[in-house]
Amino acid sequence: MSFKKILFHGLWKDLPPFRLVLGLCPALAVTSSVENGLGMGLAVIFVLVFSNMFIAMLRKFIPDKVRIASFIVVIATLVVIVEMTMKAFFFPLSQQLGIYIPLIVVNCIILGRAEAFASRNPVLLSMVDGLSVGVGFTISLIVISSVREVLGAGTWFGLRVVWDGFEPFQFMVRAPGAFICLGVFLGLMNAYSRKRGELFIQT
Amino acid sequence: MRDILRLVVVLSVICGVSSAALTLTRHSLAERIEKQSDLYVRGPALERLFARPAGDLLDNKVKVDLGEQLYPAFYVREGGQVTGLALEAPGTGGYAGDIIIMIGIDLPNERMLGIEIIQHSETPGVGSRVEKASFRKQWVGLPILEPVRLRSQGGQIDAISGATYSSKAVVNGTNRIIELVSQHKDEILAAIEAKEN
Repeated sequence: MSFKKILFHGLWKDLPPFRLVLGLCPALAVTSSVENGLGMGLAVIFVLVFSNMFIAMLRKFIPDKVRIASFIVVIATLVVIVEMTMKAFFFPLSQQLGIYIPLIVVNCIILGRAEAFASRNPVLLSMVDGLSVGVGFTISLIVISSVREVLGAGTWFGLRVVWDGFEPFQFMVRAPGAFICLGVFLGLMNAYSRKRGELFIQT
Repeated sequence: MRDILRLVVVLSVICGVSSAALTLTRHSLAERIEKQSDLYVRGPALERLFARPAGDLLDNKVKVDLGEQLYPAFYVREGGQVTGLALEAPGTGGYAGDIIIMIGIDLPNERMLGIEIIQHSETPGVGSRVEKASFRKQWVGLPILEPVRLRSQGGQIDAISGATYSSKAVVNGTNRIIELVSQHKDEILAAIEAKEN
């Protein structure tokens, strides 16, 4: 893949969670507000870039048999460092995101990119791949949480953006709204891609 | 044989480096995290227990050695005397580990002012319900020197239905604090005097 392809593939072609159908749990759970979605997205970008970096650095030394175990140790260490850093500098955000920060360890995007890319590509390209997929994930989270927060609470990033007398659709900031929102976006994206003749179902 | 050795060495080295990185990070951030926790968790808890602004109380802090770890204790002074204490202790036996609780104590009347949950990892919606005011208000006015028990064991505390482990852990933590007061109150008061002089 060319450098440009690697830089942009996470933004549409392999966009999580819509094209790369991974990371659905946080996409549903933390998108009740834009602030939470952004916070989670930035945490995932950090973990993705550095886990890809370390795994690419070590790819020639890790024997095949302990590959997954090694990846998980690296990823878990980075996630705990993120968790401690968040508690030290962004405590209220860490309270809001709660258990979903440690759950980044089992976010399949990270293990997926480690296995599919970082374990067989050079360090710099792996970091760019991590950045691309991470930014794509963050954009997806912001889009979903924008819709959910505006319709479900009448605010965007905490600022009121609707007219007086607007009754928010409470269910949008709860679980049903998350699923519906995700499903609608996925359907729209698929319809658009189908129209353009893009191949989007991974075989 | 050589392959197995390589597996063990690589995995051990990776784990070793990770542990070192984590310990280093924890060590350098521990103080900052505690300050943040004071500001966002303990501060509001103290406000609810003593009906005073947190800003007045957060500096009145000493550390109490509970054996495995140091825990913070806060105090309230009225006219030169220490009239209130807020002690923190872990309640063992929770569903997912220890539940850290804080009990506010009215010293002159030897009664509890209330209980606050500082930290827990219980199941959301199940064990986490120990945070609810309806459960915690059972602690208001309890005598500070008598151990508490769940009603199912002959005591006076109603557990949260479906969350027996969590309720028990809160009771255990309470008894830990009761033990602390009955056996070490003078040491705590001495530490407070030492801090202020």
